[in-house]
Amino acid sequence: MRVIFKITRALLGNVYDDLRRTHPFAAERVGFLSCRVGALKPDGWVILAHEFHAVADADYLRDHSVGAMMGPDAIRKALQVALSREVCMFHAHIHGHCGHPWFSGIDLRETAKFVPDFWHVRPHMVHGAIVLSHDSVAGLCWHPQAPAPVRISEFSIVGAPMCLIRELK
Amino acid sequence: MRERYKRQSFLGSDSDTVFANCIAGLVGLGGGGSHLAQQLAHLGLGNFLLIDPDGVEESNLNRLIGATAKDVARRSRKTFVARRLIRGINPLANIASANKKWQECHQLLRGCDVIFGCVDTYRDRYELEITARRYLIPYIDIGMDVHSVGDQFSISGQVILSMPSGLCMRCLGFLRDDLLAKEAENYGAAGNRPQVVWANGALASAAVGMFTQLLTPWHPGGVSTPYLEYDGNTQTIVSSNRFECVKERQCPHFLGPHDLGDPFWIPQRVPADLQK
Repeated sequence: MRVIFKITRALLGNVYDDLRRTHPFAAERVGFLSCRVGALKPDGWVILAHEFHAVADADYLRDHSVGAMMGPDAIRKALQVALSREVCMFHAHIHGHCGHPWFSGIDLRETAKFVPDFWHVRPHMVHGAIVLSHDSVAGLCWHPQAPAPVRISEFSIVGAPMCLIRELK
Repeated sequence: MRERYKRQSFLGSDSDTVFANCIAGLVGLGGGGSHLAQQLAHLGLGNFLLIDPDGVEESNLNRLIGATAKDVARRSRKTFVARRLIRGINPLANIASANKKWQECHQLLRGCDVIFGCVDTYRDRYELEITARRYLIPYIDIGMDVHSVGDQFSISGQVILSMPSGLCMRCLGFLRDDLLAKEAENYGAAGNRPQVVWANGALASAAVGMFTQLLTPWHPGGVSTPYLEYDGNTQTIVSSNRFECVKERQCPHFLGPHDLGDPFWIPQRVPADLQK
């Protein structure tokens, strides 16, 4: 199954700029990308990032067992965006290294908790999470019919220069 | 890097992989599109989507790269000619094709990394650009025309890169409502559209250069202009003054989330192996 995630270079720059800011107490920042989706033939999806929604400073919880813990307001605001704009939502954060990133065990556990909440406001749509490194990206998306998240197989950073990242098969 | 690509290794040590992974959609495989197919195959592009509803006619032989007199006799499809041309250069290329109007198979274009438009009408260009923007796909348009000036002729053409989040063809002044309306009024009376092989080739070469600069930039300037104008009388290609006038502007035409993705999301069934 082919799953493509596309983001413009300009928007990706905004994401990096925001997530690299320091937070008063959290060790890292997180945010959400609102996206639209297209169906691919014969099966698959193309996820199209539209806008980045930073999590407000006040919406982080003090939890030193993780790099960043979102509070209920952060989730509520993201749910509101999904509801009012008819978009799917992808959580985003950075791992501070170069090369291909992947989710930590805590990332996977926490993401699996809150991503399905988006089906309460936007059922049938795919939602998910991406993790960025300094020069690459990886991601997962959840489909209401699938028991487990589906790996995003291709990323396109659209701009000059174009960057095409393909998962190794 | 394979031996055949060593002469273009200045494009980057992994440029062969970049091109091998890329998927380009070629809409229109006539004078311009056939040059593109040939050059992209030489460049090492790994994945082609070829779309053209037409077969080869006698009048195509003045410019259709790869077409032969036998193709006219057999009424070969233009997609067949392009496929044969590409296979002859790069047998490993993945080639998908559709012998249809692109509007009848537009879903296929969604999976492309870049779309090249070699179509005849402003309406087609307008609709192709909207489709490309909707799925965040860079769209490279090429076209040429011959105008009569008194009892002389003037050859002109354009190569335009319409990049998502950049200026669109309306912003650049290439697509205008009056041109679309005039074309609609003359629908069915287009007559004999002059086309010549060298102008098609010059424009296709510039487009492939733009594409290469996009994927494997070989100097820091990158794509310096998204709008090239061809003057076939002076044999020059220069950055359009239209771009110079508007280059600081933001495109206001494709902004909202509803300009992206499927207009109506129809829940997709996931493959059986992924179902709950």
